[in-house]
Amino acid sequence: MVAAAHATVGPVAVRRTGVSDAGQLRTVTSSQLTHYFRTYRFLGLLAFVAFVSALTLAFQLDAGVTATRVAQLNRSSEYLSNFLDYAGLWIIIAAAFFGGDALSVDFSTGAGYYMLVLPIPRWILLVGRYLAATLVTIAVVAVYYAFGLAGAVYFFGGGSIPWAALAASLGLAVVFTFAALGVAFCLSALFRSPATGVLVTILTLYVGLTTLQGVLELANVEPWMSLTYAGGAMAAVLDTDFLHYQSIPLGEDQFYTLWSASVLEGLGIMLAYAAVFVPLSAVLYHRKESTG
Amino acid sequence: MSDALVEAHELSKTFGSAAPALDRVSFRLDGTGAIGYLGPNGAGKTTTLKLLVGLLRPTSGSVRIQGFDPVADRKRALWEVGALIETPEPYPTLTVYDALALVGRSRGLPVEDVDAEIDRCHTELELPPLADRVGGLSKGQRQRVALAATLMGDPKILLLDEPTSGLDPAERVVVRRLLGRLKRDHLVLMSSHQMVEVADLCDELMILARGRLLLRDRTERIAERVPHRQVDVEFAAAVAEAALAPLQALGATAAQRTERRWRLAFDGSENRRRELLIACQAIAPVLEFSNSLLPVEEAYLELVARDA
Repeated sequence: MVAAAHATVGPVAVRRTGVSDAGQLRTVTSSQLTHYFRTYRFLGLLAFVAFVSALTLAFQLDAGVTATRVAQLNRSSEYLSNFLDYAGLWIIIAAAFFGGDALSVDFSTGAGYYMLVLPIPRWILLVGRYLAATLVTIAVVAVYYAFGLAGAVYFFGGGSIPWAALAASLGLAVVFTFAALGVAFCLSALFRSPATGVLVTILTLYVGLTTLQGVLELANVEPWMSLTYAGGAMAAVLDTDFLHYQSIPLGEDQFYTLWSASVLEGLGIMLAYAAVFVPLSAVLYHRKESTG
Repeated sequence: MSDALVEAHELSKTFGSAAPALDRVSFRLDGTGAIGYLGPNGAGKTTTLKLLVGLLRPTSGSVRIQGFDPVADRKRALWEVGALIETPEPYPTLTVYDALALVGRSRGLPVEDVDAEIDRCHTELELPPLADRVGGLSKGQRQRVALAATLMGDPKILLLDEPTSGLDPAERVVVRRLLGRLKRDHLVLMSSHQMVEVADLCDELMILARGRLLLRDRTERIAERVPHRQVDVEFAAAVAEAALAPLQALGATAAQRTERRWRLAFDGSENRRRELLIACQAIAPVLEFSNSLLPVEEAYLELVARDA
């Protein structure tokens, strides 16, 4: 808290009181949310996720209820596990869209000259934006989950839904969002151009880590350092026939190992990413100068 | 000694291997009034203002606002600071109201006072409708919104980087009047290239060139530092160059501005000035005889030229 100030200019007596860090955090988060909700990228991404999810459901409906049930081993948990297999991809795209330029915007546009001259510590700006980005990313993913749930209810009946596992999967999606946004914010603090931050986030999290995962699997090494690998836990928690790894034969005496992160392992990797990258982005953001 | 409102001590900033953008600049600002921060482009004015609000970190030296370091302790250092630097722009998706409320709440205005404060700024600065999105505003409107944000919550230190840049003449007058009122009970440090504005508003000037503080003094004393060496004279009728021979005999050179208006350059002495006026009146009736530059402008140009 800082000292109160009282002054009079014009017709209004200005009464300022100290404002707590929590109060400023609420203000920044709410303003950032207002901004996100009005951007085309949020509305567009929401519409796109809804469109792709609806299309997936439409194909399943076209195949017929029986065929879909057989393909999913007649279990709604398998159906949900398969349907939600792309949750990680959507989260990475949303994290790139909302986090990839969350900090660089202050150093590449006039936004920084508006926000960074206010008596708000930079860590509050970062955390406020991070929370807002988390909320909008979860809003996007929730649409995807809603379609998955609707499909499960339609094909397997309301009574078959594994609610606890579904909630656990959603919880893992939230933690995955924290981790992905941590990386996105970190890259955003590194680059000056917002577009670069968005692009590099997608390239790093999706293309880079997926490629790394594939290469390690060919070498029969568990890709425990990959966030995309950890993201598999969101589907794995719903999978009743979960296998941590499978050896796939390549030829005579040759095979490669397909790894799937267990729930706890995935959760641990996600938390580690968030624990490393969020503080790192705070340090980078704090040190960054407005030289433009 | 108590903490000054604004204090820079041996402040330097270097970008890469270039020459210092700011070179051991020191000043202490206290009380109220307007201080003009002048200098050619690239002199280090904006760099100084950025350092004062922690947008840049000093290479050496220090900045204190009311005793606090704006980088290490932003909240306390900037609590009484309203800064308008470069071209601040709120998110284009926010409405004018959203953008100002964000600033008001961040500066500790009680919720019930935010609207009243926005209304005050809306009236004083003739802001666009509060429901308009910032992204749809003209450059001048955005500049006024940014200025309103600077004033939200009535901070007592105002750091303004060319505050009337991007405004049309009528808007400039509005802002100049407002600043004239604010300087009575605020400390205003403003950089500007508008000498009329500076001469009109500022009680004191700091002149910067090539990153070094050349001079700090009261505005009127700076204006008196250099003799005025150019006057503009307007005759009641057209005057041919040949008719100006008596002026040349007094050591003046004349350059025609319009058919009836001439600019005379001379040694700047009071006696010669008087003699020139008398000589002009002998040539034709004189409608106007005045300094061709503002005294402050002339002093500024001479100081900067001398440094170069």
